[in-house]
Amino acid sequence: MPDNKLKIGIYELTGCAGDALLIIDCEEELVNIFKAANIEAFLMAKSDNNDEVELDVALVEGSVSTEKELKELLEIRKRSKALIAIGICAGLGGMQSYFLDDKDWAKNYKAVYGGVEMTHTKPLPSKPIGDFVKVDYYLPGCPIGKEQFLSTFARLLAGNPPELFRFPVCVECKWRENDCLLNKNILCLGPLTAGGCGAVCVNHNLPCVGCWGPSEEANRTAEYKLLLEKGYDPALIKNKMANFSGTSIIEFFARFKGDKE
Amino acid sequence: MKKITIEHLARLEGNGGVTATIDGNVVTDVKFLVNEGPRLVERLTLGKTPEEDVNLVPRICAICTLSHKYAAIRAMEKALKVNVGPKVKLIRELMHLGEMVESHALHVFYLALPDYVGFPNAIAMASKFPFEVKIALEMKQYGNHIMKTVSGRYIHGENPVIGGFGKFPSRDELVWIKNRAIQFMPFVLKTVKLFAELPYPDVPESETLYACCHPPDKKYGIVGDEIILSNGDIIDVQDYKNLTNEFIVPHSFCKRSQYKGKPYSVGALARVNCLGERFEGEARKMYKKYFNARWTKNPLFNNAAQALELVYAFERIPGVVDEAVKLPDEPLVLYSQKDGKGAGAVEAPRGTLFHAYEVTKGLVSHTDIITPTAQNAEDIERYCYITAQKLLESGQEEKIKDRMDLVIRSFDPCISCSVHTVQVKRAPEEDWKTKIAALKTDVSPVIIGIGSPGHSDDAVGLELARRLRGQGVKEVWIEDEALEKSGAREADERRPLLFLDAVDFGERPGKITIMPLQHAAWNAVLSHRLLPLVTSQISFDQLKNSYILGIQPASLEDGEQISEPVRLAMEQILEQLKN
Repeated sequence: MPDNKLKIGIYELTGCAGDALLIIDCEEELVNIFKAANIEAFLMAKSDNNDEVELDVALVEGSVSTEKELKELLEIRKRSKALIAIGICAGLGGMQSYFLDDKDWAKNYKAVYGGVEMTHTKPLPSKPIGDFVKVDYYLPGCPIGKEQFLSTFARLLAGNPPELFRFPVCVECKWRENDCLLNKNILCLGPLTAGGCGAVCVNHNLPCVGCWGPSEEANRTAEYKLLLEKGYDPALIKNKMANFSGTSIIEFFARFKGDKE
Repeated sequence: MKKITIEHLARLEGNGGVTATIDGNVVTDVKFLVNEGPRLVERLTLGKTPEEDVNLVPRICAICTLSHKYAAIRAMEKALKVNVGPKVKLIRELMHLGEMVESHALHVFYLALPDYVGFPNAIAMASKFPFEVKIALEMKQYGNHIMKTVSGRYIHGENPVIGGFGKFPSRDELVWIKNRAIQFMPFVLKTVKLFAELPYPDVPESETLYACCHPPDKKYGIVGDEIILSNGDIIDVQDYKNLTNEFIVPHSFCKRSQYKGKPYSVGALARVNCLGERFEGEARKMYKKYFNARWTKNPLFNNAAQALELVYAFERIPGVVDEAVKLPDEPLVLYSQKDGKGAGAVEAPRGTLFHAYEVTKGLVSHTDIITPTAQNAEDIERYCYITAQKLLESGQEEKIKDRMDLVIRSFDPCISCSVHTVQVKRAPEEDWKTKIAALKTDVSPVIIGIGSPGHSDDAVGLELARRLRGQGVKEVWIEDEALEKSGAREADERRPLLFLDAVDFGERPGKITIMPLQHAAWNAVLSHRLLPLVTSQISFDQLKNSYILGIQPASLEDGEQISEPVRLAMEQILEQLKN
C-alpha cells in the first residue's frame, strides 16, 4: 500500500541494545511511532523485516566490531537518505572502544579468546560508525534519552533535522537546584559531559560518570581548568572520561595538551 | 546437503543466528551463532576502580542492566568485605523484581506470544488482542517504573552502588508501587493461564539439567550464595567455575558452559524446576495446577514459567514494600579494604549471572563475567538439533526453520550479552573433505572403525580401519579394541577422535557425511553403538573436537559383501586419511 509515510529502519550493531530497547520503552508512544512512520526494520520488535527497501532514515545503534557488521553498515548507508547514530557506542565507540591502539586491542582480544580462529566473522577493534560512513546526526546517550528521541522522531516526521541538546550536564543540574558535588570535593564529570540525561546521577547524590560522552559546545577548556584548580589529577579525569567516551577521548585530550600543571 | 539459516533472529534482544545443516535425512550440524562483536569487557574493566566497574558492566546488556549491576555489587561487596543493612537488601530486591516484571512481560507478550497467535509483532497483534497488548504494555511499564524509581533511569541507572544507594525511593513512591502491584493481580493470574495452556509442540522434548541460585530460608527467590541443580548438587557461588567450566567455540564470540560434560539450562524454567515447590500463595496454587512432567523437558515451557514468576513477583512486591517502609534509610556503607576477591550471583530474568572480581590496591585486577545466554548456548544448540532432526524424520522439513526460531526464542536469549537468525542449509558436497583437512592440521586424530561384520555395508567402518592399518596409518582402533584400550587413550586426552561407520542418512549409497560426535550422541539412531565408546571415557574437549565420518550404506542385510558404491566411498576416504 503506497503512502507518504517516512520509511525508517532501526539497526543494532555491537552494544547493549539499550537504545533500541529505549525506543520500545517509549511504551505509550510506541503504537503511535509504528503508525506515524513505516518501520521497515526493527529486529527487536518485529520479525517481518525488509532489508532491501530504500530508507528515508536509518537509526543505527552500536559500534562496528566485526567485518560482518561493517558490511551491514555500508549496505544500510547505501540505501538510506539520512543516517542517525543513536547512543554513545554508535556515535563515539562507547566503552568497547577503550583500547584505542590496535596492537593493545589485539593483545587483549587474545587474552579473552586465545588463539581460536573465528569462523563466522572476523573481529575488528570496536569503532564508532562515523569512522566508516557519513553520519548525518548523532543522538548521544547511554542509553539515549526518551525526550530527545521522541523530539527527534517528531521533527523527522515534519521534515526537520533533529535539534540536539548542546549544553553540559551542569546546566540541567542547575535547573534541578542540586547542590554542586564539586563544592563537596567529589569529582563529578558533569561540567565536561553532554547534557540530556536530566543530571540523573547528581539528582541521586552521586557524581556524573560521563556516560553521555564529552559535551559538544560547553566551554570545555574553562571547565577542565576548573577541575584542575580544584586539585584533581589530570590522569584521574582522563581515566574517568575514557570509560565511556570511546575514540573521542583522543581529540578531547589533545585539546588540553600543555594545560597540565 | 542443505542448510536452514535464520540469518537474523527477530524479536530478541541482541544480534545472533542459528544454522542447521542437513545431509539426506540427518541433521549433521547445528550452530548457534552470536553475531554480536567482541567487546572485551573483562579486559577493559582491569585497572578501574570498583565503582567504575559497577558503572561499566551493566552496559553489557540493556535488558539485564540491573542484574549486572546487582551481581557486580554482590561480588565487589564480597571482595571488599562490605556488609549492607536490611533496607538496602530490600530495595535491591525490589529493583531486581522490577527488572524481572519488565523483562518477563516484554518477553512473554511481545516477543513470544506473536508466534503462537500468528502475528509478526505485538503491534500487529493488537488488532486481535487489544486488551492483552494494552495490559502487557502496562505491566512492562510498571516494571520499568520500579527500575526507574530505584535505579534512577529505565536503562543503566546508577543509583545502586557498592555499599547501598545514592538515594532511597520515598515512602510515597514505595507505597504507590505496592498498590499498583495489588491492582495487577487478577490479570497476572490470567497471564499464567494463557501461557500455561498455549499449544506448545512436543518436538523439542529432551531431559536436561537445570541450575539456578539457591535462595536461603527455603524460600523462592532470585539471589543466593549457592547454586542448586535439578540433580540436587549444591555449589558455593565462590566455586562457580565448578558449574560453568567455560570454553570457546570458533563460531561465536560468546563463550560456552557445560557441567560435568553436559549442557545445562538456566532461566525461569530452571528456577521453577529447582525451586517450584517453594512457591507460596497464588504462585503455589498456579504451580500446583499447571506444573507437570512436560515442564521438566520442554524448553518452550519457559514462557509459562516466566508467567508463573510474574505471579511470584507481583505477590512479593507488596511484602517487600511493607518491610522496607518500616525501616529508616541507611547511609552508604563506606569501606577501606583495598584488596580482595569475590564472586556474586543473581538470577537475571533469563538465568543465572555470575560476576567475579579480584581487587588489588584499590583497582580491579581480574574480572570474570558469565552470562545466562552463554550458559544456555549449548542447550540451545542441542534443542535446535533435536527439533530439526525429529521434524526431518517425520517429513516436516518445511517446519524446521520456524520451530527452531520458537525454541531459541523460548530461552529468551539476550544476545547482546552474548542472537538474529535461523538458517537451515544442505551441507556442501565434499564438506567432509574440508573438515577432515582442518582436523588434521591441528593434531592427528585417533581413528576408530566401528560396525558389525557379516551385515554387508555395516562392516565398512571395520574394513576401513583395517585398510588404514595396512597402509601404515598409526593410531587406528577397531571397535572392540577401543573399549579395551581406554587406559592407553587417556594418555592423550586432547586428541580428537574420528569414528568411521555406516550411517543411514537417507542419501544415495556411498555418499559420505561428517557430523560432530556431540551431535551424533544426541541422535538416538546413531548413538546406540557410539555411546558405550563415548560417555565412559571421552573427555569433554575430545567430544567437542571429534567427528563421525558416516557412509550411506546400500544394504545392511546379512552378507559378507560390501556394495560397489560404498567401496568407492572407501577409496575416497582412504585417499583423504593417508598421512
